[in-house]
Amino acid sequence: MNLLLGAWTIGLIMALLAVGVFISFRVFGMADITVDGSITLGAAVAAVLLVRGINPVLATLCGFLAGMVAGTVTGVMCTRLRINPLLAGILTMTALYSVNLRIMGKSNVSLASARSLGSWCETWGERWFHGSQVPVAGYVAASRDVAMLAAMLIAVSFVSLLLYAFFKTQLGTAMRAAGDSPQMVRALGGSVENYQVIGLALSNGLVALSGALLAQYQGFSDAQMGIGMVVWGLASIIIGEALTGGHSLGLAIVGSIMGSVLFRLVVALVLRWGLNPNDLKLITAVFVLVALVLPRLLQRRKAAATA
Amino acid sequence: MSVMLSLNAIRKTFNPGTANEVRALRGVSLEIEAESFVIVVGSNGSGKSTLLNAVAGSFLLDEGSITIAGQEVTRWPEHRRAKLIGRVFQNPFSGTAPAMSIAENFAVAARRGQPRGLSWALSHRMHAAIRDRVQGLRSGMDDRLDNAIGSLSGGQRQALTLLMATWLAPKLLLLDEHTAALDPKSADKVIELTREVVERQRLTTLMVTHSMQQAVNLGDRLIMMHKGEVFSDVRGAEKKRLRVDDLLARFDAVRRRECLDDSAAELLRKTYV
Repeated sequence: MNLLLGAWTIGLIMALLAVGVFISFRVFGMADITVDGSITLGAAVAAVLLVRGINPVLATLCGFLAGMVAGTVTGVMCTRLRINPLLAGILTMTALYSVNLRIMGKSNVSLASARSLGSWCETWGERWFHGSQVPVAGYVAASRDVAMLAAMLIAVSFVSLLLYAFFKTQLGTAMRAAGDSPQMVRALGGSVENYQVIGLALSNGLVALSGALLAQYQGFSDAQMGIGMVVWGLASIIIGEALTGGHSLGLAIVGSIMGSVLFRLVVALVLRWGLNPNDLKLITAVFVLVALVLPRLLQRRKAAATA
Repeated sequence: MSVMLSLNAIRKTFNPGTANEVRALRGVSLEIEAESFVIVVGSNGSGKSTLLNAVAGSFLLDEGSITIAGQEVTRWPEHRRAKLIGRVFQNPFSGTAPAMSIAENFAVAARRGQPRGLSWALSHRMHAAIRDRVQGLRSGMDDRLDNAIGSLSGGQRQALTLLMATWLAPKLLLLDEHTAALDPKSADKVIELTREVVERQRLTTLMVTHSMQQAVNLGDRLIMMHKGEVFSDVRGAEKKRLRVDDLLARFDAVRRRECLDDSAAELLRKTYV
């Protein structure tokens, strides 16, 4: 039961990462590797502030803002300095590795004794359920974990709704159009370059937000925690698209969230069955590769069959 | 009548100093009055589309200046000029965002050249206004406003792009061979719509076409281009009298003069070198 609760919670936290990657990858068609650095950046900024005793909500928001700055840097590199988007992402990610170490002062920061969303959930959980343990569907679970899951569910729903609303505004609609047909948006007076920068800022802000929450859930932030995260996000999006067939914006966002949770559940199960955790990233990468190539292969086969 | 667009000796060379050097515009000067409908024709590589793109700001000029409605826009980037200009492209895919709905495309067009903020793109009023305009096309698309534009035919997309470009009346409407990629029937429909929209809104229009028929039937002024220069500019009663044969004759004359130039040069070379 604890395993499932944990998988659900991490899945929800990582859903914000997935939604962030959705913006860069699906809305603007860019593979933005800044993500690997900005998730750690969000965690590092939040952790350092929490250790200093800053209010957890404020610290989390600062993580979000730091991510937006990182995204802006990548965005400016792509648009103003005309650097290949992939390379721009690599540069920012690499630079962020040092920045994160500077922010934390060491390779990891423990939140064990700090006041964080994690410790808040512990208090809330005990107050709601009158004890440190609570029965869930016939199993015993830690009330902290249940409270954490509830908190994340609320946070992720809120952020996703906000994002959905944003993409329905004049600015958000123009941004989506800029990814879909840049020439049209230019002809209609929109600066595609500015929209790309805003998009990357928003994307990395969400990724960093996810990092800030993750640090508080697991109780530490670590310089290595971002490795391979962009692939994780891609996997979630792809699973989401398969689940919802998501062509509309709302379905795509909901799909990314569902994809993230489902992916985490599957990972928890296969680890439980004895999969070596070291192989996880290899398997994730292969999964994304297959998922990207498979539709094209099927299409070719179909074309060959009809020809 | 007031001048809406003025080009002052504009020049543009692509890939200068390389084997692929193209002198696309070789000093074109032009004044276009408000509310006139100007047709631009020319052979392939004559610079007619380049002329339109220069006005739209797709690239910056090497020399010369451009003034639209009294504002000098020579150094303005494309998206800033869009405040003054409505455009329809040759490629139906360029003018619309295929994955987005008809209504959303219009919502983006409705803010052409204006700041885009955080209010809803598609208010009820906006939705109703879009339905009204699309209904005017009498093509049944008003029932499908929430469908992706990518599911429509090229002709339908060009018709919608034209409505989008003129949603806010532009100072200048640029049509870049906007029927060239369509089948004849759709092309006729789009041309009919073009005539209607331009007349109703009394738009100053610059239209590039490859079709001599369109060049003769439409507009009140005709500009013919060859090798980056304007060689003929016909308007008023003379434009009305012009027939397709006259056009072809003029193009022939230019080409013959050129052959003469080349063969004369060859003759001189043989004699003296």
